[in-house]
Amino acid sequence: MGCRTCELACSFVHSRAGALGRPRIRIHAQGRGLEAGVIKDRYLQLTCLQCAEAACAKVCPTQALVRDETTRAIVLVAERCIGCGLCEAACPFGHMHFDRQIRLPLKCDLCGGSPACARFCPHHALEIRP
Amino acid sequence: MSIRLWIDDREVLAEPGERILEVAQRQGISIPTLCHHPALPVLGACRVCLVEVQQGKRREITTACNTLVQEGMRVATDTAEVRGHRAMNLELLRARAPEAPAVRELATQLGVARSRFRPPAQNPLPNCILCELCVRACAHLGHHALAAVGRGDKKRIGLPHNRPAEACVGCGSCLSVCPTRCILLKETATTRTIWGQTFELVRCKSCGAPVMTEAQRAHAIRTKQLPEDHDDTCELCKQSAASQRLASVVW
Repeated sequence: MGCRTCELACSFVHSRAGALGRPRIRIHAQGRGLEAGVIKDRYLQLTCLQCAEAACAKVCPTQALVRDETTRAIVLVAERCIGCGLCEAACPFGHMHFDRQIRLPLKCDLCGGSPACARFCPHHALEIRP
Repeated sequence: MSIRLWIDDREVLAEPGERILEVAQRQGISIPTLCHHPALPVLGACRVCLVEVQQGKRREITTACNTLVQEGMRVATDTAEVRGHRAMNLELLRARAPEAPAVRELATQLGVARSRFRPPAQNPLPNCILCELCVRACAHLGHHALAAVGRGDKKRIGLPHNRPAEACVGCGSCLSVCPTRCILLKETATTRTIWGQTFELVRCKSCGAPVMTEAQRAHAIRTKQLPEDHDDTCELCKQSAASQRLASVVW
């Protein structure tokens, strides 16, 4: 639908980290197309893929990006981060954003297993599967 | 072989080579720190993590961050004497860094409302507490561009010999780890200035947004074995490119 409620939910639940307005999930408009005889706007959501061999974790000089054993997400251990910005440069999909104000990368952490983007999607277009 | 020691009369087990601070933190005992970073070598510069350590007949006040645990050690983290020493050091730090929220907060917690001391007369880096976290982060990244320059009350953090340092790539990690955020970093659309040096920024090849400094990129390519054309795109353009690739698969 392109309502971007997921972006809003993400920004909101992570706003304590000083990242309001910087969602870790984004909706990308992809023009229009014919679907079952009806012209529809096309949207794609993109968020961190939690790569099996994550480039961000690989370049991190302090091992501040680690795999959470329960959620399988790559999460930022902020205490270990030295804010060098290498992870932002390394991610080939553009999902690491280095926030220049708080000087930490913003990273999808799957909200600890219950992602706000999926919870708040009014169309149930997002879900988390094990 | 584990080491047995007591922290605030609580019996705890630790591994040889561990330091009092990390063992205490694991036990949920909080010790204030300013110059400690778990990913960087310990230094013991800020003297805020002072604790009382009793080992046999010897009793001393020492820093928790760089003191190795020993069998039978008795550590007290919150005695009146410990608080007094911490308060004294924070009063000195508060004079040096009157505008730093982290210092002010800790000082207030220890009842140091104001400082009787004056900051150094000519300080090129106001609010710097000389904790050398920036120096350690810079060295950890392999740049070694920063150092403590001068001695005594003339000691300050800067580029060695006060000359432009080729080793500096302008990554800003020094600012990221600085507990008082006293390092000046200025960014325009095309340049970044830090430590008096101005760096050209790589601009995103699609939208022109600043990405990182040229020197930073060159260093990343060299040390992380990345392809030569690595990262000339900003993260939003990387995302759009990914979304277009995905769209061509979906539709």
